[in-house]
Amino acid sequence: MGYSMTLTENLFENLRLELRRGCLTLAVLAQLRVERYGYTLRKALADDGLVIDESTLYPLLRRLEAQGLLASEWREEEKRNKRFYRLTPDGELIFMQLLAEWHAINASVTASLQTTNNNL
Amino acid sequence: MELLDRYLEAVRKHLPWQRQDDIIAELRANLEAQLEEKEAALGRPLTKAEAEAWIKQLGSPMHMAAPYQPQQYLIGPAIFPIYRNVMKIALTWTAAVYCVANAVALLTKTPQMIDVVHAIANLPFVLLTTAAWVTLVFAAIEFAVAHQALKLPAVCSPSVAWSLASLPPLGTQANGGKRPKSFAVAVAEVIFGFIFLVWLLLVPGHPYLLMGPGAFLIDALPYQLAPVWIPVFWCAVAVNVLQLGWHMENLIRGTWQKPQPILHYAAKAIGLIPLVLLLTAPDHAAILLKHPALDQARYGATLFTINTSIHWSVAIICAIVTIQLLWDIAQSILNANRKRAAAM
Repeated sequence: MGYSMTLTENLFENLRLELRRGCLTLAVLAQLRVERYGYTLRKALADDGLVIDESTLYPLLRRLEAQGLLASEWREEEKRNKRFYRLTPDGELIFMQLLAEWHAINASVTASLQTTNNNL
Repeated sequence: MELLDRYLEAVRKHLPWQRQDDIIAELRANLEAQLEEKEAALGRPLTKAEAEAWIKQLGSPMHMAAPYQPQQYLIGPAIFPIYRNVMKIALTWTAAVYCVANAVALLTKTPQMIDVVHAIANLPFVLLTTAAWVTLVFAAIEFAVAHQALKLPAVCSPSVAWSLASLPPLGTQANGGKRPKSFAVAVAEVIFGFIFLVWLLLVPGHPYLLMGPGAFLIDALPYQLAPVWIPVFWCAVAVNVLQLGWHMENLIRGTWQKPQPILHYAAKAIGLIPLVLLLTAPDHAAILLKHPALDQARYGATLFTINTSIHWSVAIICAIVTIQLLWDIAQSILNANRKRAAAM
């Protein structure tokens, strides 16, 4: 019984991570319409209810920058050099497309839930 | 903070060397900002225990550094299905060419047991070498796709040309109600077909492979095989080579599940040729005396009985195989007619 529970928990964790992965990208792109550096971005996401590890967020920023969706620059703020990120024009375009896709998926899932709830 | 410095140094060791300084500088800035905020909230520096707990919750240095490494597969999911298909085809062709080449090599000289053992023992190494080359080529393609993604055309996309004719038949419907042949069975047919062929080729030089210890008694007997056995033997070899080739071709083309009734009946009919050759031997002589002038009087009657028995045994086997073949053909025709009538 315990073994099967562990398998179920693992399966849930894997599916949860899979579901979160795409959403995190969308949330990061949404936050970076305003310029931020890593730590303030992490705090802003956490304040909005999306807690994200340092080891996930900072490499994600690098990947999005490598893909041309973000631009970054080192700048001094409060006597410390920090790397600030913001959306590029391509990033803005893709963010809008992803947002539309996310709304469509959300609407479909909600509609499916409503249909199945009515049939239960 | 010394603990943070030590942590970042440990992280550095696991980072891609070209970007180590940049990543560490960014991590330091972010973590120090976090630390400052914690200390500002407390109104004092973190205690040693609090600092250790904070660093600990960041995760191990390797865990922190791992996501910065480029994601690289040896063979990624995009090209893996092509890799698997190419591997199947390459291994099948290698096995086929190897088997045919070795069979030909064995035919050109008197086959020795050691040659056969050597040929069979070498096959796994030949297949492993092929697999290694295929993997190496695909790893290179994966590397190129990963690093030059924008310059290379898509190697695996839904728009890649394919034909509806390549779709497999629907299992039981297309196979007369029987389960379709699995890939493992199709491979086993080729492997055992090859082993049987090698065994058959070895029998003339090593009769104990057919008759066991009884083969050593044959030398002491006054009888020997009639010349008719030579064409019968080579005819049997030819039939097995044809069947092996047919199975190999099916495996290579991926058509082992496709019903091929005409080829099936043709193979059965060709299998009758050695039996017919034996039946039509002059005077039904399958066995002769080694020294007819000396032994005719003593063993003549026994020889006649042996040859008559062989003749009738072969005639009965021949009749059974022929009736079975005709029955199968009739069944096929009836099934085809039924299907045609049902479709109308």
